[in-house]
Amino acid sequence: MTSANPPITGMGHSVKRKEDPRFLRGKGNYVDDVKLPGMLYMDIVRSPYAHAKIVNIDASKALALPGVLAVITGKDLDAAGLAWMPTLMSDKQMVLPVDRVVYQAQEVAAVIATERYIAADAITLVDVEYEPLQPVVDPKKALEPDAPLVRPDREAKTNHIWHWEAGDAAQTDAIFQQAEVIVKEDLYIPRIHVSSIETCGCVASFDRISGKLTIYMTTQAPHAIRTVFSLVSGIPEHHIRIISPDIGGGFGGKVPVYPGYVIATVAALQTGHPIKWIEDRSENLQADSFARDYHISAELAANRDGTMRALRVRTLADHGAFDAAANPSKFPAGLFSICTGSYQLEAAHVEVDGVYTNKPSGGVAYRCSFRVTEAVHTIERMVDRLAQELKVDPADVRMKNFIQPEQFPYKSATGWEYDSGNYPATFTKALDKIGYAELRREQAEKRARGELMGIGISTFTEIVGAGPSHTFDILGIKMFDSCEIRVHPTGSAIVRIGVQSQGQGHETTFAQIVAEELGLPVDNIVVEHGDTDTAPYGLGTYASRSTPVAGAATAVAARKIREKARHIAAHLLEVDPNDLEWANYQFQVKGVPGKAVTMKDIAFAAYTNHPQGMEAGLEAVDYYDPPNLTFPFGAYICVVDIDRGTGVVKIRRFLAVDDCGNIINPMIVDGQIHGGLTMGMAPALLEAITYDENGNIQQANFMDYLLPTSMETPAWETDKTVTPSPHHPFGAKGVGESATVGAPPAIANAVVDALAHLGVTHMDIPVTPWKVYQVLQEHGAAEP
Amino acid sequence: MHFEGDQTLNSPIETVWAYFMDPEKVAACAPGFKSMETLGPDHFKPTLAVGVGAVKATFTLDVTLQDLQPPNHAAVVARGNAAGSAVDMRSEMNLTAESEAVTKLHWTADVNVSGTIASMGARLMEGTAQKLTERFFDCLRQNLPASSAS
Repeated sequence: MTSANPPITGMGHSVKRKEDPRFLRGKGNYVDDVKLPGMLYMDIVRSPYAHAKIVNIDASKALALPGVLAVITGKDLDAAGLAWMPTLMSDKQMVLPVDRVVYQAQEVAAVIATERYIAADAITLVDVEYEPLQPVVDPKKALEPDAPLVRPDREAKTNHIWHWEAGDAAQTDAIFQQAEVIVKEDLYIPRIHVSSIETCGCVASFDRISGKLTIYMTTQAPHAIRTVFSLVSGIPEHHIRIISPDIGGGFGGKVPVYPGYVIATVAALQTGHPIKWIEDRSENLQADSFARDYHISAELAANRDGTMRALRVRTLADHGAFDAAANPSKFPAGLFSICTGSYQLEAAHVEVDGVYTNKPSGGVAYRCSFRVTEAVHTIERMVDRLAQELKVDPADVRMKNFIQPEQFPYKSATGWEYDSGNYPATFTKALDKIGYAELRREQAEKRARGELMGIGISTFTEIVGAGPSHTFDILGIKMFDSCEIRVHPTGSAIVRIGVQSQGQGHETTFAQIVAEELGLPVDNIVVEHGDTDTAPYGLGTYASRSTPVAGAATAVAARKIREKARHIAAHLLEVDPNDLEWANYQFQVKGVPGKAVTMKDIAFAAYTNHPQGMEAGLEAVDYYDPPNLTFPFGAYICVVDIDRGTGVVKIRRFLAVDDCGNIINPMIVDGQIHGGLTMGMAPALLEAITYDENGNIQQANFMDYLLPTSMETPAWETDKTVTPSPHHPFGAKGVGESATVGAPPAIANAVVDALAHLGVTHMDIPVTPWKVYQVLQEHGAAEP
Repeated sequence: MHFEGDQTLNSPIETVWAYFMDPEKVAACAPGFKSMETLGPDHFKPTLAVGVGAVKATFTLDVTLQDLQPPNHAAVVARGNAAGSAVDMRSEMNLTAESEAVTKLHWTADVNVSGTIASMGARLMEGTAQKLTERFFDCLRQNLPASSAS
């Protein structure tokens, strides 16, 4: 229901989310809610071995079970040329294996049955004979000459995938040779899993009469998937419709194409029945793509007075058995070269080597743009490491080395052009608000009493909004994004966008952008997304690119409409279009505020009384190619207390001062930051995926893989500064990932800070009670 | 995983050896034993139901006896799958006669467990293996004849 004169509530209003009434009432429509007539169910047989030859697959017992209609193996797919599929990183990946498995829980065969439970029973009856091979799970060992070969299908008989570097090696080395101070640290950013509430799945349906393939899919990038499916299958693209309905969290984990989607599609084509496949929780945790897993060796060169000069970083990136990360094509290590952070450096050199191991694919951009979490963790730890070496306050080292406001646009040592920033102002606000000086006094008193209290800082810079088409593409498709707006005669509108929501609140925020630009009430604007038959082409939602790219497209499309509206307004007011100004959400005659028309009046005229010679209607499309990325930033300060008896780290306070440019909806931004901080705390304190020497995952369920609940989550304190992006149409930068990226080093730095007087210089995340207690014991500081 | 242990059995070495060479008798003491198919004198396929924590699985093992040196040494190699899990094992036993009526058994087992059982029950595995081993030898002691005559 809309009131007679609903408010505009455009930019800057905490409009309640339009999507929440259906979610809060349990009326969302997720993939598993899709039920089609005649639908069959798929379940997947998975490998117990991390590395093995497949000697034989005997499906006879499974096929004998009443209700089982088919068992699909790699040989079946191979006959159709579909046993392998391309990844988004120009590698290829097994859909189903023909003769070998390369990670534990890899898909080996699929059962199609009339009921979900029959399919689940039948997978236990598929008899697979394996011949185990030696797996390699450590990327360092994978590079040794006698290491087992993970991918003998490749021409290059090595587990090394690629080498990538950025910056100036010679200049960096020269600075290091004459540096007054060098600090060095090895950091491991462990493998973690996005663990969105909704696991992955699809319903694939093929209409044999029309030839149309419709796939409801848990995907963050429906258009790209449609194009790839068409190229791989040969089905004409107009005969493929990908629908990404309500999605229960993506965080990067729903960008890759998983084998289950392809197998279900093949089964739908073969049987003529719709096929539903939904992963269970353990399958999701064990087999879907992982994030992080970076083995980093970092060195920072500086002067004795604390002036930072150069950064040198070497990294081994464990990508598992297939390079199926979802980075832009030219960036196999994502945007990791943002690791110079918020600081002025004369030079930097960053190298990354991608390595295959017998694990599921890694390298998913888990709420981190692309590898920005790893980058920020590296620089923010190293700055603290330098401060500790020089025995100065880490806040002072930061303040001394910040890029200054007048230096923007700032060209970084690795080649990025930072759009805007005011790091000293944001940091000062955070220091003042948390009472930094007082906290340091308290810490000194507590230390004297033997209590362990730490203060950790992270003054990070993000890099999001991929991206300019001259540099950014995925499989050759440029990373623009799009919006199409139609204003109806009575002054309401439909907005269709090329990005897609997994919980970000697009139906609200994109309506607010249009409301602001057109002066139409937000209640009268509906936003649609996720259906490739109706939405304009876009690259999808990840890497905080929705507001920077599709949001910009939306504003530009609305401005195209407004420009046409100006001419209609001039016609209605019988003045020259140049005599009109857009003010107070209406066109008014300059100097005569009483003589004005609203967009509602203009919309009606566009269909009933438009000027002769002008096209009727009021609509526009924009495909926006951003001129640069955006660089949100923030200053986070974390206060921890450590229990010497248990090693438990308790976050007493955590203040996040974010600057994401102009804000569309402050409430949604707060929600993004609260969720992001929790997701940033998780890998800092709790989460890590590990494998035993045979490649068995050690965290295949939520008993062993510890997600934070409300019990572990502290009361976050948030604040903001606003430094608009100079190149974005309405000055926004994006915020979806800042907190996930910025929080882990603040927490890790706080823990090391609490233990620094004992001689501790570094701890890898997650800083679990067990690890902390070990350190306390080593330094004689543990209470029994 | 590597396991090993020693047992002192109150039976002559020939009796113990004969017992171990009788797959039906050994299998009867195997934990969770359900059935067995004999493929040859040194080649068997027993089916065992094993649980580690909450994960229960029925394994069909392919077992061969190797390196037989009567009455002192034998090795057993086994491999098997269950839903989502697999086990590969090599076990060796060395028998020495302590006296005419007492035999000392030293055994080793190298076991690789893969898949669901390894992932879900990793922290319970050693304890479970210990318990199953104790149960096996308890059963063995009860069933072993005290002398070669009986």
